[in-house]
Amino acid sequence: MSEHETVRSWLALSAAGLLEPAEERRVHEHAVTCPQCSAELEDYAGLSAEMRALPAPQPPDHLVTRTAALLLVEADRRQGSYFAVGAAVLVFVLVLAMGQTLRVILGDELGDQAAFVWLLGATVSSLFGTTAALVLTAARRRTERSIV
Amino acid sequence: MIYPAAIDGNFPVAEPVQVTRLRSGDPAALAETIAFYQHRLYRYFTRLVRDPAAADDLFQQTWLHVVRQLHRYDAARSFDTWLFAIAHNAAIDLLRRRPGERLEDHEFELPAHAPDALSAVLAGERAAILAAAMAALPALYREALTLRFEEGMKLEEIAEVTRTPLSTVKSRVRRGLEAMKQRLCREQLL
Repeated sequence: MSEHETVRSWLALSAAGLLEPAEERRVHEHAVTCPQCSAELEDYAGLSAEMRALPAPQPPDHLVTRTAALLLVEADRRQGSYFAVGAAVLVFVLVLAMGQTLRVILGDELGDQAAFVWLLGATVSSLFGTTAALVLTAARRRTERSIV
Repeated sequence: MIYPAAIDGNFPVAEPVQVTRLRSGDPAALAETIAFYQHRLYRYFTRLVRDPAAADDLFQQTWLHVVRQLHRYDAARSFDTWLFAIAHNAAIDLLRRRPGERLEDHEFELPAHAPDALSAVLAGERAAILAAAMAALPALYREALTLRFEEGMKLEEIAEVTRTPLSTVKSRVRRGLEAMKQRLCREQLL
């Protein structure tokens, strides 16, 4: 490839400021003696300047407010999730501890029955609690969607 | 005359303090940061997906992702680059699912006339023709041009945002500019 062809293939990148210093020097040295490359480089430079000054699309007025509101709901949801997991672990430990305590206090036979009833009651209550949590989560998701 | 190939480097960047406040979950910091980036990010999405409603959705998705992944952000790196990399992923994901979208055609030619080219010429709206020519480029060329000329990103930053080699970024900018120049020549605007 001749110097002219090489430099010509670099003209757009020169105008975009993406050439290495040595390549940039070669472009400029060649353009001084080559009217065709000089004119083309000038075209690219003008085009690049216009590209930098293109009118920017205007974001909608509500965009920041809506996005910030969405992120707050998300932060709230995440915080709620952490609390829910923490609370679930705590309740699980308490239920097991209570069952064990009943067995120790009431003796083997009666204690086993009491612990079974206790665990059954706790399981049913947990199921109600989980259902309520799922309903609340679904309601929150609907709120999020209405924000987006 | 030979023009210097300088690009204006005075683009706003997020302050490290702002990022720290963002990490703390401060709602005011969150709103400030979103407002700080709204024009740049919205412009980037609009150029890339050419649809204001989709740009709006992508803007919100990007910030949701930012908040969820903020713990992974390395403060030693540029927040701008990290943010735009997330934006890039969201936009490209959308474009890949869009039927008929050309991400990167190796053989492409811009249409000789955009539908509104004549009226734009008559009205002297050269910028509108430029914007129309840019919108007709394949998505990845549009992206390279907007990141370089409108965002003022360096070659390495564009490569990091788009996760492509430097040579690919250069090739996209060059081909994009060449196509734009050809288009303007055909319109007798150069």
